[in-house]
Amino acid sequence: MQLLDIRNLTLELETPDGIVRAVDRVNLSLKEGEVRGLVGESGSGKSLIAKAIMGVLHQRWHISADRFSWCGEDLLRLPYQRQREIISRDIAMIYQEPSRSMDPTALIGEQLAESIPDHRLEGVSWWQKGYFRRKKAINLLHKVGIKDHQSVLNSYPYQLSEGVCQKISIAMAIAKDPKLLIADEPTTALESTTQAQLFRLLASFNQLKGTSILLISHELETVAKNTDTLSVLYCGQLVEAGETADLLKNPRHPYTDALIRSVPEFQPELGFKQQLYALQGSIPTLQHLPIGCRLGPRCPNARKECVKTPQLERQQNHFYSCHFPILRTSAHE
Amino acid sequence: MSNLIEVRNLGKTYRKATGLFKHKEIIALQQVSFTLQAGETLAVVGENGSGKSTLAKLLVGIEQADQGEIFYAGNQINFSEYRKTNQFIRYIFQDAARSLNPNQKIAEILHAVLRYSTVLSFEQREQKISQTLRLLGLLNEHANYYPHMFSGGQLQRVALARALILDPKVLILDEALTALDPSLRAQIVNLLLELQQKTDIAYLLITNQLRLVRHIADQTMVLHQGKCLDYGATTQIFTNPQHEFSRKLINSVQY
Amino acid sequence: MKKLRLYYEEYNKKPYQLLWRHFVTQHFALLGLVILIVLLLLAVISPFVGPHDPYLQNSELLLLPPSWQGNGLVAYPFGTDDLGRDLMSRLMLGASYSFGLALLTVCGAMFIGLLLGILAGMTRGVQSSIFNHLLDLALTIPSLLLAIVIVAILGPGLLNTIWAIMLALLPQFIHGVGNAIQQQLKQDYVIAYRLDGANNWQILWSVVLPNLWEPLSLLFTMALSTAILDIAALGFLGLGAQAPTPEWGSMVADALDSIYLAPWTVALPGLLIFITVLSVNLVGDGLRTAMKKRREN
Repeated sequence: MQLLDIRNLTLELETPDGIVRAVDRVNLSLKEGEVRGLVGESGSGKSLIAKAIMGVLHQRWHISADRFSWCGEDLLRLPYQRQREIISRDIAMIYQEPSRSMDPTALIGEQLAESIPDHRLEGVSWWQKGYFRRKKAINLLHKVGIKDHQSVLNSYPYQLSEGVCQKISIAMAIAKDPKLLIADEPTTALESTTQAQLFRLLASFNQLKGTSILLISHELETVAKNTDTLSVLYCGQLVEAGETADLLKNPRHPYTDALIRSVPEFQPELGFKQQLYALQGSIPTLQHLPIGCRLGPRCPNARKECVKTPQLERQQNHFYSCHFPILRTSAHE
Repeated sequence: MSNLIEVRNLGKTYRKATGLFKHKEIIALQQVSFTLQAGETLAVVGENGSGKSTLAKLLVGIEQADQGEIFYAGNQINFSEYRKTNQFIRYIFQDAARSLNPNQKIAEILHAVLRYSTVLSFEQREQKISQTLRLLGLLNEHANYYPHMFSGGQLQRVALARALILDPKVLILDEALTALDPSLRAQIVNLLLELQQKTDIAYLLITNQLRLVRHIADQTMVLHQGKCLDYGATTQIFTNPQHEFSRKLINSVQY
Repeated sequence: MKKLRLYYEEYNKKPYQLLWRHFVTQHFALLGLVILIVLLLLAVISPFVGPHDPYLQNSELLLLPPSWQGNGLVAYPFGTDDLGRDLMSRLMLGASYSFGLALLTVCGAMFIGLLLGILAGMTRGVQSSIFNHLLDLALTIPSLLLAIVIVAILGPGLLNTIWAIMLALLPQFIHGVGNAIQQQLKQDYVIAYRLDGANNWQILWSVVLPNLWEPLSLLFTMALSTAILDIAALGFLGLGAQAPTPEWGSMVADALDSIYLAPWTVALPGLLIFITVLSVNLVGDGLRTAMKKRREN
């Protein structure tokens, strides 16, 4: 079943220098039980899209889309109250710096108990609610792999390490049993050993409960190993989307190709201390976005036609938008 | 080949006051030894709090070691003389934006560096500055910019310019590549590799990104709670880690 | 509001130009700044400009109402006080006392506070700790009370008021400057400068001082509003400016007896004090917001 179906999402902001289009006609879709990765560097708009899905974008942003539906209901046409109801019931999000996204003045136990929605405690008499909340909180902590719940429940966020905080925020997110979990760069602030634990945890939730996961990151390596499908963004434009394995084997867009080739691990033939493949130039700022295909100035294949934004083309579940895609046939085909 | 840097049994303990008269001793580094040759890269990996940053600070002189000796090209150098040591070893901060004075133009910053540590005339300094900027892919016009006008990647290049303008033999990168985007990181890594080939500069890379370590580091050292668990050639460490912790660290890369 | 750009050019805006751009977008702060500039001009030129001599008593025109009322005269736009002196000239001259002297006082306090604050900020260890604790003691006493105590020791008079307020404002400056310097010294770029080979004096001169203007200007505006109010308050209490000096606070106190007969003699000086302090606060607030916006960008 199609959970999230977004077509031509555009996010615009009014600045003193004119209207800035931070996200330009991006398509995103998610099925039930799917783990999708959203890869993009800084300025690609991936965090903005996540916030737009959660409905927490600042008032100044203009959201427009041809379709923005969750489980068939168009979120943009609904009244604000109904939107919040649906989103709070079904979607949860975890953030990059977990200790900063928690209330610093409240104990973990209180925050965790607060995040358990009321409808999970139906059938419980009111004087027992507090007890059941606490029991459920301990249960959640065990589910995310924190065995020593007593000391964690009585601590403040600043007393715990980032890894533990991230696990707690996952516990808070799954307390309401969401259909979609959006993870915005969840492992950037963590140690590498904790990162592995975290991804295993997310994978287990995906398999056991069927929770869909939208994994946002700027590192291709972390996303490549943990997702089924992948969308690549550059400067607010959707550059390529499709199944992860297919994308890594046959990237069609020069940007995806550059991302893959800049990671030494994906290229076993690259010698020790050899130069990595890197695109020239740097990411344009919001005020100086190029017209047409935004990779234009940096792209090795760029030609005159690239001043027009390319259309999204499809080839067997593999979407890409490029006038001159890379159509090399790999040796396996 | 003589060792550029040789470190023997380095140790550092911090004393934190826990009460009016009590102290707590935190052992940041214990019995750490290694050597570094010219044109080589040594990567130091470990968790937060393992002592990596302390090691970097001890080597460049921001902190003083409590035990052990550091030898530079065979001599022990006194670190209060920054003007002498910074011709030899330089340091790159993790956050380039915070390491640059926001109220000064780049040209002034670079001029100041040369003025404090060398005896070049004004024209010679100008020449050196434009040479260094060009080497790092920046334009001469960039010298008149303030730090807030640069993007993140360019700021890291400016920080590199400030470090390399004194032609050091060793460069310490304290998590300097961690916060960069992958494409930017690739560009800067290419720059560093090119520089190493041309000038035989040695790098001490403090990072947690093991894939990068595998690609560019000749030697690797694994630190855990201040102690050196594993030290040796990178290929050796990655295929045959001796300690439990190193094994866990290496395996986390292959998840 | 799009600017007309004929061709594309990158502006190399210096940091204070950015600050000005953010400041200007706040209209109230700009209004406050305009008022302050007008007051400053008044404070400087009022001894030479003014319809009448502020000290000239005219026994025929006692308590004349302002010119917009029925029996007022245009020659005396704001009327006269109970000794027949023209209120407008007195108010204009009062600007140089209430505002101009306050400005001088705060500048003096800032200068001394800067020197001592640098000392407090750059030293470390036991001696700095003792110094800071003594300073904390001085900070607990409200500035007006401190000023009154000092004036009680030195005796009433405008000059003594200035010394008193300068001394009362000093702890705030020392504390603020010391704190700002301590914060600066913790920054990465100071370590970077040390590594580049700068010694303490060079760090102070090229790194710490230029970055000190921001907190210093905030302290200045806060101290200025305190100083204006303190001078007016001391004048009102009779401890500051003595008659016939046309300081606004003492004018309010003198005219208090005839408040039912001639309310304008009380209202107008009071209004001016209010406008002055409001403008200073608006400018200070605008500066703070502009700095925050600039930092966020």
